[in-house]
Amino acid sequence: MRHAPYELAAEFDRRLGDPSDAGRLFSHARCAALDDREEFPQEICRELDVLGLPAHYVPTEHGGTLRSYEEAVQLMRAVARRDLTVAIAHGKTFLGAVSVWVGGDRDQADALGAEIAGGTIVSWGLTEREHGSDLLAGEVLAERVADGYRVSGEKWLINNGTRGHLVCLLARTARDAGPRSFGILLVDKRKLDPASYRTLPAERLHGIRGADISGIAFADAAVPGTALVGPEGGGVEIVLKSLQLTRTLCASLSLGAADHALRLGTDYALRRENYGSLLIDLPQSRRLLALSYADLLLAEAVTVVASRGIHALTGELGVISAATKFFVPNLVEQAVKRLAKLMGSRALLVGDTHEHGRFQKVQRDHRIVGIFDGNSVVNLHSLVNQFPLLAKSYRRGTVDAAGLTAATTLTDPLPEFDRDRLTLLARGGCSVVQALPAGVAELTALVARGEVPESLERTAIGLKLAADELLAAIAAQRPAAVDVPAEAFDLAERYTACFAAAAAIQLWLRNRATVVDGPAGALWRSGLWLEAALTRLLGRLRPARPDGTDDVFERLVEPLVAQHEAGQLLSLLPYQQQEARR
Amino acid sequence: MTAATPGTATGLFADLDTPDPLDARFGDPTDPANPAGFDAFLAADERGELLPAGRQVVDGFGLGAEFVPRGLGGRLGQVDDLARVLRPVFRRDAALGLGYGAINLISSATVWAAGNAEQRRWLADVLLRNGQTAGAYTELATGHDLVRSRLRATVRGDELVLSGGKEVINNIARADAATVLARTSDEPGSRSHSLVLVDLASVPRDRLRFLPRFRTSGMRAINLGGVEFLDCPVPASALVGGAGEALETVLRAFQVTKAALTGATIGSLDTQLRTVTRFALERRLYQRSVADLPLPRAVLAGAFTDLLIADCLATTVCRALHVLPRQTSVYAAAAKYLVPMLTQDCVDELAVLLGARSFLRDGPYGIFQKHLRDLPVGSLAHAGETVCQATIIPQLPRLARKSWFATPPAPATLFRLDEPLPELDFDRLEITAKPDDGLAATLLDVEQDLRDDPLLGPLCGQLVAELAALRADCLDLAPRNRTPLAAPISFELAERYAIVLAASACLGVWRHNQDHPDPFLRDTAWLVAALGRLTARLGRDPVPGAAAVEPAVFAALVERHESNRGFDLVGRRLC
Amino acid sequence: MTTPKQDTAATDTAATDPDAIRDWLLDRVAFYLERPVTDLRPDVKLVEYGLDSVYALTLCGDIEDEYGLELEPTLAWDHPTVDAIVTLLREMISGNR
Ligand SMILES: Cc1cc2nc3c(=O)[nH]c(=O)nc-3n(C[C@H](O)[C@H](O)[C@H](O)COP(=O)(O)OP(=O)(O)OC[C@H]3O[C@@H](n4cnc5c(N)ncnc54)[C@H](O)[C@@H]3O)c2cc1C
Ligand SMILES: Cc1cc2nc3c(=O)[nH]c(=O)nc-3n(C[C@H](O)[C@H](O)[C@H](O)COP(=O)(O)OP(=O)(O)OC[C@H]3O[C@@H](n4cnc5c(N)ncnc54)[C@H](O)[C@@H]3O)c2cc1C
Repeated sequence: MRHAPYELAAEFDRRLGDPSDAGRLFSHARCAALDDREEFPQEICRELDVLGLPAHYVPTEHGGTLRSYEEAVQLMRAVARRDLTVAIAHGKTFLGAVSVWVGGDRDQADALGAEIAGGTIVSWGLTEREHGSDLLAGEVLAERVADGYRVSGEKWLINNGTRGHLVCLLARTARDAGPRSFGILLVDKRKLDPASYRTLPAERLHGIRGADISGIAFADAAVPGTALVGPEGGGVEIVLKSLQLTRTLCASLSLGAADHALRLGTDYALRRENYGSLLIDLPQSRRLLALSYADLLLAEAVTVVASRGIHALTGELGVISAATKFFVPNLVEQAVKRLAKLMGSRALLVGDTHEHGRFQKVQRDHRIVGIFDGNSVVNLHSLVNQFPLLAKSYRRGTVDAAGLTAATTLTDPLPEFDRDRLTLLARGGCSVVQALPAGVAELTALVARGEVPESLERTAIGLKLAADELLAAIAAQRPAAVDVPAEAFDLAERYTACFAAAAAIQLWLRNRATVVDGPAGALWRSGLWLEAALTRLLGRLRPARPDGTDDVFERLVEPLVAQHEAGQLLSLLPYQQQEARR
Repeated sequence: MTAATPGTATGLFADLDTPDPLDARFGDPTDPANPAGFDAFLAADERGELLPAGRQVVDGFGLGAEFVPRGLGGRLGQVDDLARVLRPVFRRDAALGLGYGAINLISSATVWAAGNAEQRRWLADVLLRNGQTAGAYTELATGHDLVRSRLRATVRGDELVLSGGKEVINNIARADAATVLARTSDEPGSRSHSLVLVDLASVPRDRLRFLPRFRTSGMRAINLGGVEFLDCPVPASALVGGAGEALETVLRAFQVTKAALTGATIGSLDTQLRTVTRFALERRLYQRSVADLPLPRAVLAGAFTDLLIADCLATTVCRALHVLPRQTSVYAAAAKYLVPMLTQDCVDELAVLLGARSFLRDGPYGIFQKHLRDLPVGSLAHAGETVCQATIIPQLPRLARKSWFATPPAPATLFRLDEPLPELDFDRLEITAKPDDGLAATLLDVEQDLRDDPLLGPLCGQLVAELAALRADCLDLAPRNRTPLAAPISFELAERYAIVLAASACLGVWRHNQDHPDPFLRDTAWLVAALGRLTARLGRDPVPGAAAVEPAVFAALVERHESNRGFDLVGRRLC
Repeated sequence: MTTPKQDTAATDTAATDPDAIRDWLLDRVAFYLERPVTDLRPDVKLVEYGLDSVYALTLCGDIEDEYGLELEPTLAWDHPTVDAIVTLLREMISGNR
């Protein structure tokens, strides 16, 4: 099947060229060297500019080429697959600009669109040294003066804080406590009196070592009133809505990391001999690979549904984005850790001994995805806050059928993104999860017709029971604003697993008839990838003693090797990659 | 067998209020002015250099002597003591601890195990004058699969001629002595390799090529190199033990090194937990300290519990080398497998708590990311997870058939932290365990007394049920699944067995240290927490009410943090 | 196919008859290799059948349990064929008496 967002990414990958060719700007060799020297990937970012990536950060209505956020996700994934430092350094403009698409007026957004398409770098200033997750504690002050604002205070740990031209700043516009005391200012550093601000030195980092993660300190900086995005007290609301988009988009970074790590792992397993066999033929190594592949496919399924959900289930994004931002980075973290076992010492070596030390770089770099843009605790907390609604909607089986169909049916066109449908309160809960029982019933019917194996049905029914039980426990949880008990976080974590299961089921059901060709066909036919994914999730929700019969992972190895050997993306919807085959 | 001579553990609880001597030499790690403090180690890590001030401390202390058996003039007595001696080094810098410390045990243990008097004396002398040694056992192409390693030693007259390379070898370029594993026969199988003790200063240097340094993401300071011997002659007397005995020697000696290294790395976990505890107490969020929020408390209490579990298992296994030497082939592998895994999981949780600061290399918590990078390197070096599991797997069916539910419990000495042990005797270590699994039997023993305890009763019940299920599963294992090439189920069973052993160790330590000076360790809260963490890993449902012990564990953590005591079983004052 | 499927060591421990010991041993080796016992010859080195170092250690444990002996675990490294092991065992068992 040809799927437009993937085709776009494939085309972009093609234009970037073979990363194993050191003569290409965006090559493995260059990325490794830059990381070693902690140097900003200047030339590579420039290459991305030349190839027109920035225009994809701008929605078409504001003059760019971004038709859907699903496209954005696959594009960013293709960049992240080569290098996370680059993806994060370049892609930050996208995240920084989202507040303007969400909260700005037409002129502002069009102007910003033109800037970005021309290569302007936008950063996003939320965090302060003393305040991270707790946005309402922010101290940077924007005092109203005659012709605008006078801004003072420091934002710290800001991606492109030094290099950025514009910074989308969350600042206090009123001194009293509360969510209506903040506004967003799109500050143009180029127009500030240089004496009124200074940038802070870049922090030295554990991963993405070349990135510019610095900060900016304002001292009575005069910012024009036209910089205000949205209404004066609307800052926190706009940020929270924007985070619904950006948190969903962050999944692309994890997918890219997983692509990269799994490719390295598969390649090693196909070449390394141990105990007289290739690693791929040692059952345990094989299993490590297959589990990681299953995780990657599940992460991909969730990301596809969530990114389409930005358009199709916009009102539920508060749940979807939190679940996705927790689930995907977390799952990928586990997969990378598992692959490290397979790689043995080659997961740790830096330099030229093995593949430019790429594995250890991916592993270090990827840690950041779980930290920024709302860390895992913050996302789970946000789900905990929505528990009563989630429990109620599950009990009632509320489903936005049209929205769900559009979010999960790849052949359906996506509706235009409508920012007015973003809401901080997902009144309908989460259609994806609430459709789980119906999805399982559909699977059961397919089993009766002999179209999918009984093992899949058993797993799916197990998951439904686990979900029923979980939602009952969630309903029984006493709401607590801040002193949330640790058990509630555990329930929220499990909720994200149910979300993933439900998303995977819907995605498979709605597309199984259309995706049947090529190496991906083997994954889709008889529900192979789905069964693998659900088996993983059920194991998480209801751990059982091992019985040695879970051969679904064994069946995954063949498609994995086939995709790898064909030089394709390891994916539910594979496309040809530029990476040279060995 | 050597007669039992008293170890040093008698004094274990004597000076709880003064820092350990090596700890004191290093000084306060958090003091930015300390030349051997965290900041200095961080800077050295950045440079990829073992901190000179750290090496001076270690040399001044004469750490080399810790690896030399007492009979040869050193201080190596009890392996649990050795692990504890190394903790202050690992607390600061695992690269120094491994690359300038424990590596010397890894290279010398095979000589203590199989060398002749002359070789032992010579190597002891090297270490006693703070010389450095290398253990050139593995090759990059064959890894842990030593049977297939290729470097050759050929007899030529009264010489052995070495040819071939060893890669990713600690210290090799600066070592005075190297223990080299070499092929001495073309036959396939396990009798074709021998150990050679090479005096690197006296071989013709033009017959040596040193490879460029290998760099790693963690422990950046260690000197990983490689060597190529170009028909390099050494005296025939350099052969350690008999020809063809290398694998056997390695299988015995590495039980000691695995156990000691595992016990030592608890120092590193101490730093991770201490750093994040400090952060949680200092950092404010939603108008309270992070440590006032329930989830961070649970994470910290859980990490403290994991550290205690790790210490129970590591210390018990170190002591088992003296008390149950016939069993430690499997115990040492279990410890070297489980402790790094527990540590990794727990450090990952701590990293979430530390948030953005777990990603910063500078600032007051910068040491965290260094230990975070170091950990997987230490876990893999000297037998990684898969390799340890593969050591356990073939031994499980026999333990299941002959030992579990039949062998009597281990003697109290195994667990009594301050009771001296008989001398370590490498000859008594077996290369596969006998069916006398006393450690697992301790679970069954202590469980009988705890049946009426509303929390420990059901927790022990779950563990006994697990052992019973393991027994059935291991008896059932298909032949192929008893080999290192086994299917995943075997690897899962090995993991479960290691967890049961850890639980047994916790129960044994608790039961037999009821005179511990710290009432917290005499009490049951930590034990309930520990068994709860372990049974959760086994996928068992939580025992109702068990979570209620968390405040007591958290309080003990904070108390130890504020009184600046180690988080381990001894809980000695730190520097 | 005569591959033994179960983990039950042969029961007649009194057997010092070399043929009985040889049959029992071949059976065990066949068990580990998952090959029919008829494929195996007692004078071929175990390592040539792919019985690598660690299986060989396991085999030693089985013999100990079967004959109530304490053996060097490296027995199968030093006595690399079934015949060689049989010879050794016979000596030990008769020596024990
Ligand atoms: C490389 C990098 C790039 C970044 N880029 C940007 C950027 O471009 N723009 C920007 O604004 N920020 C950026 N950040 C900052 C980042 O988004 C914040 O650091 C992060 O959101 C959380 O803040 P914190 O880690 O300081 O933790 P805090 O918010 O101080 O929280 C401390 C700890 O408390 C815990 N916690 C939080 N809430 C709860 C709760 N309800 N219950 C229990 N526990 C809780 C968390 O686990 C957390 O670990 C970046 C950070 C890094 C490392
Ligand atoms: C920091 C560091 C320091 C070191 N220092 C020294 C030193 O001083 N001296 C020295 O001799 N060596 C040293 N080494 C090398 C080390 O001991 C190992 O040789 C090396 O790490 C082996 O790992 P490997 O990944 O190269 O290969 P292997 O151990 O061969 O592993 C390769 C792969 O095989 C897999 N595998 C293994 N067994 C099985 C199985 N049964 N089933 C399925 N898969 C399996 C592993 O998981 C891994 O994926 C050091 C290594 C490091 C990282």
